[in-house]
Amino acid sequence: MIRCSGLVKSYSAGHRRKIVLGGVDLEIGRGQKLGLLGRNGAGKTTLIKLIGGVELPNAGRIERKMTVSWPLGFGGGFQGSLTGYDNARFIARIYGRNYRDIQDFIEDFTELGRQLAMPVKTYSSGMRARLAFALSLAIEFDCYLIDEVIMVGDQNFQRKCHEEIFVKRADRALILASHSVDFIRQYCDMALLIDKGEASVKGDIDEAIALYSNL
Amino acid sequence: MAALHQGWAIQTRVIQALIIRELTTRFGRENIGFLWVMAEPLLFAVLVGLLWRFEKGPQEHGVSIIAFVATGYLPLVMFRSTVQRALGSFSANSSLMYHRQVKILDLILVRFFVEMIGHMMAYLFIATVLYALDEFPWPHDLGYLLLGWSYYALFTLTLATIVAPLSEMSEVLEKVMPVTTYLMVPFSGAFFMAEWLAPDVKAAVLWSPPVHAMEMMRYGVFGDAVYPHFSFVYTPAWCLPVLMVGLMLCRHVRRVMVVE
Repeated sequence: MIRCSGLVKSYSAGHRRKIVLGGVDLEIGRGQKLGLLGRNGAGKTTLIKLIGGVELPNAGRIERKMTVSWPLGFGGGFQGSLTGYDNARFIARIYGRNYRDIQDFIEDFTELGRQLAMPVKTYSSGMRARLAFALSLAIEFDCYLIDEVIMVGDQNFQRKCHEEIFVKRADRALILASHSVDFIRQYCDMALLIDKGEASVKGDIDEAIALYSNL
Repeated sequence: MAALHQGWAIQTRVIQALIIRELTTRFGRENIGFLWVMAEPLLFAVLVGLLWRFEKGPQEHGVSIIAFVATGYLPLVMFRSTVQRALGSFSANSSLMYHRQVKILDLILVRFFVEMIGHMMAYLFIATVLYALDEFPWPHDLGYLLLGWSYYALFTLTLATIVAPLSEMSEVLEKVMPVTTYLMVPFSGAFFMAEWLAPDVKAAVLWSPPVHAMEMMRYGVFGDAVYPHFSFVYTPAWCLPVLMVGLMLCRHVRRVMVVE
């Protein structure tokens, strides 16, 4: 279970502060799938970063009673000057996994071949996405934090992601930021609509989508 | 207790992983790899030692001048490079914050450990070579030498813990830091024994914590050939409160840190 209560996050913008999230409460249990809806800049990524512990809230608490992945998006989590293999080794080490055990899965899932021996900064964003996904799947988390943009890779990658996340790991929780209402309707069982710093969880996906479409 | 033990296990694992990462990013895997970490300080110490040797003759105040320069210069370069590398180290490594088990303090600790181990290896190496050439004495008292090193290292870590968060808060620091560490040279104790100085100058330099650490190390190496001035409590008594301030600054910077 992850429980967030009263999350506030603001950033300084010149002489004043811009409040991105003004007190968000949410709770997500094992196996639940939460979709985050909101316009560009509404604070979806910020919320995911807070839940992942990448940035810290100005106020409020986050309790994590299950293992939570790092936010999977295009950026972050890698050292560009290191090779794909070295990044994989590093991540295996800090999460206490044996690198040998996950190496095959990573080679197989990413299909990057010899590119894995090249520095990550030479990768395209799609290639980074493959590596990030492969690593987080290999480590196995109870809850995955995903920015939808990462899933817009080629057909083959989309199919693999679908298979690994929604079929093989159907029992895992998921927090997914997305602009695609179809996507959320298909995969999520709750939605959180973020607008002007306000956010509330809707158990009824269609209601959330209707509100979102009217923004 | 179990939670504490587990936390400790995670932190040591993370620090190890970060050290390997730091060494591969900085030195790569080609040629001598991580041994480069001692190449730079060695080169510094040897060249400056030789310069002094030709300028001032083989001995000063009864101790081998090359040994004297080496014992002073290596800790000083450790200090300088650690502080220099602490500048902006948070934003340079902000992508590590994607992994919750990596704490902001780890970023400072790792760079500090790499510098400390590298410079200690260089110290050991140069002492062995000079000993073989009969230019370095067998240490008079290893206890004083190690305690002095630890004090010097503590001072270095303390300053790194202050400088790293401050450099995120103000860009001015990055510009003035090289000058400051340069101006600090007289207060590092690297090139003199306090005993050789005029009384008021001596009193002034003894306000500086690393001077105490350096005098201790020199006594550990040269023994009664030098007449050291140090206090056992001054360096830790100076460093610990400052370290606390540094930790608070780090905590503050972590709270407001923006990670791409």
